[in-house]
Amino acid sequence: MPLTRIYRRFMNNNDRLLLMIIGAIVGVCSGIAAVLLNRSLSAMLEWLHHYRDYYWAFIIPAIGAALSSLFLEKIVKEGAGHGVPEVIYSVSRYGGLLRMRSGFSRLVSSCLTIGSGGSAGPEAPIVMSGSAIGSNIARMFNLNERQRITIVGCGAAGAISSIFNAPISGLVFTVEVILGEWTALNIVPIALASVAGTEISRILQGNQIVFGHGGFEIDPADIASSLGLALFAAAASILLTRSLRGMHHVSEKVKAPIWIKAAIGGCAVGIIGMFTPVALGEGYHYIQDMIRGDFSRGIIIAAVCVLTKVLATSFTLGWGGSGGIFAPCLVIGSLVGLTYHRALSLIWPSAAWVDEGYFALLGMAGLISGILQAPLTGIFLIVEITGGYNVILPLIVVSAVSSSICHYIEPASFYLKDLKEKGQLLRPGTDARVLSDLKVTELLETDCIAVHRNMLLRDFIDIVKRSRRNYFPVEDENTGHFVGMIHLDVIRPFIFNPEIYDAVVLEQIMDTDVDIVPPDADLPDVLQRMDAKRLFSMPVVADDKFIGMVSKATLLDQYRKELIVQTTTA
Amino acid sequence: MKLLSSDLAKKLNIPRDTLDRWIRQGRIPVLRKGDACEFSRGVLIRWAKEHNIDFSETPSVEGSMTVDHPDSLASAMIQGGVFYKAPGDGIDEVLQNAVSVIPGLSEKMKQRLLSMLIERERMTSTGIGGGVAIPHPRTPISDICETSFITTCFLESPIDFKAVDDRPVFVLFILSSPDIKKHLHLLSRLAFCVRDGDFISFLKKEPEPDALYSMVAEFEKRLEVSR
Repeated sequence: MPLTRIYRRFMNNNDRLLLMIIGAIVGVCSGIAAVLLNRSLSAMLEWLHHYRDYYWAFIIPAIGAALSSLFLEKIVKEGAGHGVPEVIYSVSRYGGLLRMRSGFSRLVSSCLTIGSGGSAGPEAPIVMSGSAIGSNIARMFNLNERQRITIVGCGAAGAISSIFNAPISGLVFTVEVILGEWTALNIVPIALASVAGTEISRILQGNQIVFGHGGFEIDPADIASSLGLALFAAAASILLTRSLRGMHHVSEKVKAPIWIKAAIGGCAVGIIGMFTPVALGEGYHYIQDMIRGDFSRGIIIAAVCVLTKVLATSFTLGWGGSGGIFAPCLVIGSLVGLTYHRALSLIWPSAAWVDEGYFALLGMAGLISGILQAPLTGIFLIVEITGGYNVILPLIVVSAVSSSICHYIEPASFYLKDLKEKGQLLRPGTDARVLSDLKVTELLETDCIAVHRNMLLRDFIDIVKRSRRNYFPVEDENTGHFVGMIHLDVIRPFIFNPEIYDAVVLEQIMDTDVDIVPPDADLPDVLQRMDAKRLFSMPVVADDKFIGMVSKATLLDQYRKELIVQTTTA
Repeated sequence: MKLLSSDLAKKLNIPRDTLDRWIRQGRIPVLRKGDACEFSRGVLIRWAKEHNIDFSETPSVEGSMTVDHPDSLASAMIQGGVFYKAPGDGIDEVLQNAVSVIPGLSEKMKQRLLSMLIERERMTSTGIGGGVAIPHPRTPISDICETSFITTCFLESPIDFKAVDDRPVFVLFILSSPDIKKHLHLLSRLAFCVRDGDFISFLKKEPEPDALYSMVAEFEKRLEVSR
C-alpha cells in the first residue's frame, strides 16, 4: 500500500522522476531492439553474400521484398510505410498510442527487405519499434497522454542513439522531428533514454565511431566551396523526395497483389544492383569507403551511382518494401559529395582541395537536413557518426542552406508531407492542435430559452424580458424538433407594437433557413462556415433537437484557456 | 481530495468534457478513479492560478443567470417607513417635510438627499401619473444608505407635482438605493404596482402601514408568478 501511495504521489504532483526512470528503461529496451536488428541484418547479409555472384541474384531482393510485404500484410496486418510518419501521426492524433505488435513487425519486415538487398535503411523501422515499446510500457504504467508522448519519444531516441552510437542525435531527432516540442519536461527523460540506448549499444557491440576518419585540414576556401555542395545536396534531396512519391503513385496504379508489387520493385532493384552494387542494401560500408577516400571511381560513375541509388530506393520503398530513408540519404549524400569533389578537381586541377571524405561527410549532412528539413538533426548526426567535431562550421553552413532551399521548394518535409496534406499534423501549442482538441460539446452555451412555433408574440415578449440572449431556438411543441431561430434584431420592430402582440405567432417571424452544426463537427469547419457567412454564433442540433449554441465569444474564452493550459508548463 | 468529475468541472468553471479530456491528456494534476477525480487541493489551486483558471470553493449557481436582489419592495418599504399628512403647498416644501421624517438619517444626510431630490425634480417630474410620485436621486448614493429604502409619504392635501398626467399628487414614494441595479429593480416593481388601478384606489384610502406592506407583498408575489 505505501508503495502505491508513493507511486500515486509521483503521478499526481510531480512526475519528472517517474518519467526519467521509465524513460531510461525504455531507452534500454529500444537500444536492445536496435542492436538485435543490426545483428540480424549483418547475419543475413553474410548468409546471402555467397549467392550474389550468380546470374539469378537479381531475384533475391524480389523474394525479400515479397516476403516482407506478405509478413506485414497477412501476419501482423499492418500497412507498409516508413515508420516515422506513423509515429508522428500517432503522437499528434492519439497521444502516442501504438500497437504492441508494431514493436517487432517492422524489425522483421525491414530485415527481410534490406538483408536481401533492398535499398532502404533500418533506422525508421527501429524508431517505430522503439516508439511502440515506449508506448506499451507507458500503458503498463497507466500514464496519461502527455507522459506517454514523452515516453514514445524516449523509445525513438533510444533507438536512434543505439543504432548510430550517437546520443545527441537521438535526442535532437526526437525533439525536432517526432515531437516538435522542446520543454524541460520532455527533454530530460529523452536525454536519459538516449544515454541508456547508447550505453547498451556500446556494451553489446563496442564503442565504435560508425564512420571514422583521420581528420581534415580545412581552410576558408573549403568552407566557401561547401556552399556549392549545399545546392547539389538540396537538388538531390528534392530529386529523391519526388522520385519516391512518383514511384509510389505509379505502383498504386498497378493492379496486383501487394506482394507481387513488392517483388516487381525488388527485381528492379536487383537488376540495378547487378550494375552498381552500391545501390544495394543500406550501403554503410560504401559510406565508410567514401569517407576514408577509398572509393576510387571517377566522376561519371559517381554521378551515375547517385541516380541509381535514388532509383533503387524509390523502387524498394515505393513498391512496398519496408524500411527507412535515413541510410539511403547518407549513401546518396556521400555520393553527391564525392561527385562534387571530382567536379571541383576537374575545374580547378591546381587548387589543393581538402580530402574527398570531407565532401562526402558534408553531402550526408546536406541530404539528411534537406529530406527531413531538420537542420539540427543533420548537423549532430554527422558530427557524431563521423567523430569529427572539426567540420562543424561547414556542416552548419551546408545543413542550413540545404534545408532552407528544400523548404522553399517543398514546404513540407518528406515525413510530414502526407500528414500535412490530410491536416493531421498537429504540433503542440499550434492553432490546429487547440482547435482539434476543443470539441463543439465543450463550447456549448445552454442558456438559450427555447420557444414553440405556435406561441403568440405576447407570450414571447415575456420570455424576451427574462432572457439574456439574443437568440431563441424555435421548437415544435409535439416532437420537440428544432424548426427555426428567432434573432432579436429581426423582431425588434414588432416588439414595440403592442397592437400585433396577439396577431402574430412565432412561426411567422422565425428564420427557417438556419445553418446548423452537428455536435460532432470539426471546429475548423464550423469556424470556416461562420466566417463565410459572417455569423457569430450557430445553433447546435443533434437528432433534430436543439442542444445549445456555439459562438465565437465562448470559443475565444475556451481557446485561450486551452492555449494557456497547453503551453504553460509549471 | 476526491470529487465527482462533474462537481470538479463546476468548481473550475469549465465544461465537463474539457475536464475529462484534460485528465486524459495529462494537462491537469488530477487522477481519474472511475467516476471520481482524485487530486491534492493545494496542487490544483496552484495549477489553476498558474493557468489563469478560476478555482472556486463554492460553485456559483448557473453562473450569473440569477441576478442577486436581496431587497424586496416590501422590505424596502418597511425600512423607509410610512408617514401621513405631510404638509406643504409646493414641490420643494413637500419634499423638505417628507425628507425630514425619514428614519435613520443624520441632519447632514437629509440636506444632501433633499438637494439631490430637488435637482432631480427640476430635470423632469417624477410624478408618474395616477396621483403618485417617486422622488429619487439621479445617481445612487451609497454613503447615505447601505440598503435600499422607500419612504411612503401621504400628503395633507394633493399638490400640483407637474406629473405626466397633470393630476395632483397625493402620495410620495421616496426611493434611495446604494446602487443602480437595485434602484432599477425597485423602481420597476413599484411602477408595476402603481400601474394597477386597484392599487391606486387602495392608496387613496391611506391604509395602515401593515396593510400597505402586505398589499405590496401580494403584488410582488403576482409578479414572481408571471415570470
